[in-house]
Amino acid sequence: MEDRAQALVRRMVANIYCPHPVSIIGIKDETPDIKTFTLSLKDIEQKDPFTFRPGQFVMVSVLNSGEAPISICSSPAFSEEIQLSVKKVGLLTGAMHGCNEGDEIGLRGPYGNGFPLEQLFGHNLLFVGGGIGLAPLRSLIQDALFNRSEFGHLTLLYGARTPHDMVYKDNLAAWETEKDFDVITTVYRDSPAWKGNIGPLTSLWEKAEISPYDTKAIICGHPAIVSYVLFDLLEMGFGEDDIISTLERNMKCGVGKCGHCSIGSKYTCRHGPVFTYRQIKGFPSVL
Amino acid sequence: MHRVLTTCCFCACGCNLYLEVENGKIIGVTPSKQHPIARGNLCLKGWSSFEFVHHKDRLQYPLIRRNGDLVQTSWEEALGLVAKKFSDIQKNYGAQALGVLSSAKCTNEENYLLMKFARAVLRTNNVDHCARLCHSPSVIGLSNAFGSGAMTNSISELAGAEVILATGSNTTEQHPQIARFIFDALAKGAKLIVVDPRRIPLSRFADVYMQPRLGTDVIWLNGMMKIILEEGFLDDTFIKMRTENFRTFREALRRFDLEQVKAISGITIEQLRRAARIYASVKRAMIIYSMGITQHISGTDNVQSIANLAMLTGHVEQEFTGVGPLRGQNNVQGACDMGALPGTLSGYQSIADEDVRKKFERAWKTNLPRAPGLTAIDMFHGTGDKKIRGLLIMGENPALSHPDLNVMRAALQELEFLAVADIFMTETAKFADVVLPAASFAEKDGTTTSTERRIQRVRQAISPLGASKPDWQIICDLSSCMNYFMDYESPAEIMEEIAMLTPIYGGVYYDRLETGWGLFWPCLNRNHPGTPFLHKGSFVRGKGRFEYIPYKAPAEMPDDEYPFYLTTGRIAEHWHTGSMSRRISALSREWPEAFVEINPNDAKRLGVANRKSVRVVSRRGSITLNARFTDDIPEKMVYIPFHFKEAPANILTHSHCDPEAKIPEFKVCAVRLERV
Amino acid sequence: MPDEVILNKEHLTGFLRKIAKERELIAPVKNIHGDTVFEVLTSVDDISLDLDMKPVMSPKNFFLPRTEVLFNYQREGKKYRFEEVLPDVHRVFFGLRSCDLWGILFLDVVFQEHFKDRYYLNRRSNTVLINIGCHEPMPSCFCKSATSGPFLAQGYDLQFTDLGNRFFVEIGRPKGRELVEKWDYFFGPPTQQDRDEQYEVVLEAESSFDHIVDFDTATSRLMNDEVEEALWEELGNRCQSCGGCSYVCPTCYCFNIVDRAVSETKGERLRTPDACTLAGFTRLAGGHNPRHERRRRIRRRFYHKLAFAKDKYHRPSCVGCGRCVEICCGGVDMFHFIKVVCERGEKSKKVALTLGEILLNAGLISREELEAALERQLTSGKALGVQLIDDGLVTRDEIAHALSIQLGLPEMAGTGGVVGR
Repeated sequence: MEDRAQALVRRMVANIYCPHPVSIIGIKDETPDIKTFTLSLKDIEQKDPFTFRPGQFVMVSVLNSGEAPISICSSPAFSEEIQLSVKKVGLLTGAMHGCNEGDEIGLRGPYGNGFPLEQLFGHNLLFVGGGIGLAPLRSLIQDALFNRSEFGHLTLLYGARTPHDMVYKDNLAAWETEKDFDVITTVYRDSPAWKGNIGPLTSLWEKAEISPYDTKAIICGHPAIVSYVLFDLLEMGFGEDDIISTLERNMKCGVGKCGHCSIGSKYTCRHGPVFTYRQIKGFPSVL
Repeated sequence: MHRVLTTCCFCACGCNLYLEVENGKIIGVTPSKQHPIARGNLCLKGWSSFEFVHHKDRLQYPLIRRNGDLVQTSWEEALGLVAKKFSDIQKNYGAQALGVLSSAKCTNEENYLLMKFARAVLRTNNVDHCARLCHSPSVIGLSNAFGSGAMTNSISELAGAEVILATGSNTTEQHPQIARFIFDALAKGAKLIVVDPRRIPLSRFADVYMQPRLGTDVIWLNGMMKIILEEGFLDDTFIKMRTENFRTFREALRRFDLEQVKAISGITIEQLRRAARIYASVKRAMIIYSMGITQHISGTDNVQSIANLAMLTGHVEQEFTGVGPLRGQNNVQGACDMGALPGTLSGYQSIADEDVRKKFERAWKTNLPRAPGLTAIDMFHGTGDKKIRGLLIMGENPALSHPDLNVMRAALQELEFLAVADIFMTETAKFADVVLPAASFAEKDGTTTSTERRIQRVRQAISPLGASKPDWQIICDLSSCMNYFMDYESPAEIMEEIAMLTPIYGGVYYDRLETGWGLFWPCLNRNHPGTPFLHKGSFVRGKGRFEYIPYKAPAEMPDDEYPFYLTTGRIAEHWHTGSMSRRISALSREWPEAFVEINPNDAKRLGVANRKSVRVVSRRGSITLNARFTDDIPEKMVYIPFHFKEAPANILTHSHCDPEAKIPEFKVCAVRLERV
Repeated sequence: MPDEVILNKEHLTGFLRKIAKERELIAPVKNIHGDTVFEVLTSVDDISLDLDMKPVMSPKNFFLPRTEVLFNYQREGKKYRFEEVLPDVHRVFFGLRSCDLWGILFLDVVFQEHFKDRYYLNRRSNTVLINIGCHEPMPSCFCKSATSGPFLAQGYDLQFTDLGNRFFVEIGRPKGRELVEKWDYFFGPPTQQDRDEQYEVVLEAESSFDHIVDFDTATSRLMNDEVEEALWEELGNRCQSCGGCSYVCPTCYCFNIVDRAVSETKGERLRTPDACTLAGFTRLAGGHNPRHERRRRIRRRFYHKLAFAKDKYHRPSCVGCGRCVEICCGGVDMFHFIKVVCERGEKSKKVALTLGEILLNAGLISREELEAALERQLTSGKALGVQLIDDGLVTRDEIAHALSIQLGLPEMAGTGGVVGR
């Protein structure tokens, strides 16, 4: 079987802009404006074997609607299909919400660096996610559960605007039953049926047991949330290399050419989207 | 790949650019380096101007309404129906029940032909176009004062001015290439005075920036003139030799109370004094203005006050010195020149003038109607005898650009017959009984006249898409269907007729336009070099006329129920009703959606969030759009660009007009804001 | 074949004719309107080669066209099909200026590194580049400062020097040698006098620049974050976001990818040059724009072209061709920028602060409000930020914004779900 390096070389010399058609084999409504699409990779497997790591993204095309980067939210362990959670915000995502099962969309990738798994091995992991920011974390969490023995204690803090805006409710329920895995959720505005926490993500600190010295924190969510969380984690004593986050940028090519996602002399699509706080801090403030 | 030189289709700067053609498609543009205005660059609209040409929404076949739907048909049937309907209406109600709206986006030749069609074939003077909504007060106001309603100087002369006074013109956004000359002047040490109710980008470079309340221009202009009078900055010789009616004017101005300025306009006397001294103390000073001056019920008053100011200090009749109404559309100057107006034939020759009419009757071989026609606004508000029942609209989109849209759209609905020629299915075309597919600027020949009166060529780069045709051919064909034969072979042939009948275009021939970046009118004959600045030595009307203008408040002011001023306008990256610019990827990406600019303090009070929805309500209707916080707009005032069909600003505006120019007051009305 | 040959000027047309028979020959031509542009020559006889004026656009668009179809797509039933359109061109550029040629070499690096860009490379690999050294700078040229002219020491296929009645031709890369070898009968060997004359021309050209700016100082000022905010503010006000500087620049390579629908079921995926001075360049689908203000876009532009390019490619992404200088509506061009940055002073450094002080400094709360909130916080047990929000003194967005600035964060966000439009 082809290894990662070989696959990379092959893809580097192929036409980097031309997507593969893949069919949608499942659509799940997560929230009123977020759907999770399951895509079959069978058709492209022979031509372009698809392996990825959590935190990577793909470029998705829909007829006459252009292209956009979407994080993969499923586990790398399932090789025949991948899942993408899509929030309806623009032209492409809007068009995607209009797709039905059986429709084909265009796919190229995976791109980006993904989470630094090697650096996470042997540590406790703290996942902090807001809204649809749970998508790339889900891929990582599932991978961590698949290789459970490689990691210490797991903690997930997840916040959404309202209970209706929470994604992956089934997963959240299932994870709660896992051993050595604390799942704590909160909403900013409750609804009548909600019995859980109310308040911002940062109100969950005291509810979780976090030891800053042997834990790696992985944050994903809206810029505002990320800033808050980061600030608190630093105050708690987390090291700058132990905080990992992702950056969100407009992307067009996905392969470090088009310039849209450049950040300092790096490209978010190529050198990111996953960065440690130390890296992010090192970028000039001009961005 | 080959290149075809043409004139940009967006604003009236008149930049020349090359369309890059490959395999019958336009793939890009190159600005002309030698062109005196383009100077190797374009604005973002210009750089992207080729993109809409091949858009899939282009109309490529005539459409006709059957059982309520517009369906594809042949040219023959479409034009046959238009001809029949117009003839029927003419027979049943008389010619005054017909009208045409010409277009400032079409060429001179097309405007001339359409005005000829209206007068010679439909036999009505009901012909107008969107200059009514932009610079009709300039045409009247400057004609009253100077004798000609156009820019007195060429654009590049701005770079040689010592002082530039910009008012009611967001120059960097609306005429970026003209702003470039302002920056050139500033680099050479010129002083800049900016007067605008919004703190426009240019104000940051101003030596004096004054922020008047909406609709108070006459007040600060009179104040400024009073100061000039008091401080003795008058150009006595100029006033004596070149102007008339000064004594009456001076008496009236003496009675003007300077205290009013602060009370009504909010401008302090100190600011005004500084501005007056700067403007009056130099030799070469240019005033540029635009819609902020004209789109008021006092539009003509404002323009005439500006003319007074220029004459008072002798700042006209010379190079680098004058008054520049910056026109909006690529050919709004030309459409006026061509007589697409209810009262004048081409070259501002009055329809009421017996000799003029005879000249045209002889050339056109028919009798012409004498009664002055209806303006663009009146065409939609008439009743009884004045009611328009059949209308032909060429390349205009009043269903978005006219004020008080709910009333306007009802009027369109009520028409017995509407024919629209356009390149896209506009909001107006959706009301039509027949839609005629027109060719875009890249697909036809012709000329346009830029804001500086520069007549330039538009050149065909590709053949018309599908079955579409240039408007001039559509008019010829339609005219022939109505038994008035128009057999022009080319726009050049039409221009020969224009030159013959129109003194100011007397020397304009296509061979002269091939090289050398066009001609400035007046260009009286084949050997005449054209006229970069007007009124050299003496005013066109003989002597410049002073006329004291008293202040008149806007038609609708904020009150308890509608506490905010609303002012409307454009943004740099979109063009008018957006039918072209919103189909260009780079432009629609810049401004994908409608917005209302609001001062953050007001927003805080109202509980409105940045980039979140807010409802804006006036007495005429309401729209919902996103708020955009900016300090550049004062409190108690909001600004909405009118490009966006999903939240049309003109639902809110009213149709109270300047009594003379009949321009509606787009720049002031009262609204309230509601959270959604 | 030696590395240097002589081409008598009388033989230029003959040589070009041979080339034009086999390949697309592209050269600067003055058209009837007086504009100089790079044109594909259809005949070498009736052209007016213009070797005096700078073409309006750089040769970049021959490699990155203004509208480039990457592939066609269509829908058949539920299927979505792609048909790639790879370019196949064989070209010779004659009369490039050193700066423009250097610009192409810069693009080579960008489009070859890491993932290979087939579209660019297909065009580039079959293209021969012949430049003519400049005897004297044209108005606004500053290639000397950018070390990309007036003559090149490497990188060309052939480099011509005008010696009056003849050209001194230096043979560079193999593609140039092939051309000369193929039609060797047009060329002769240079004499010592030819060499001396050529050397003199180069020396004289090098010394005739009065437009000199210091790239290194400006670059290091940027890298050390020493440019004052007021300058960005001013440049932001002057810039009119026309995109012109990027479109004419020989090295600006940023591009956009969009779909152009042909019908409801068919269309083309296009690549078009993009400009980083436009707001839409970085705006995300949800409306959030990390570089909303124009001054930040201008800042990024100059950082990208000077500091980051230096960091990544060891050379500035500017070749001193002067096109932006000539066309900018507001004087926000590279030449003036470097000049101003070198002339102006340094800015102060940031210091670390607590949340309360950060908000205080950002002007979001007053000292009294902060003290009162700290008081209330003692009893409520809330975090300070939460307390301030609950008191209605600040919003979440305001705190986040102030924090991200203080932490030096480039407006962070999760890649949750959607990272783009």
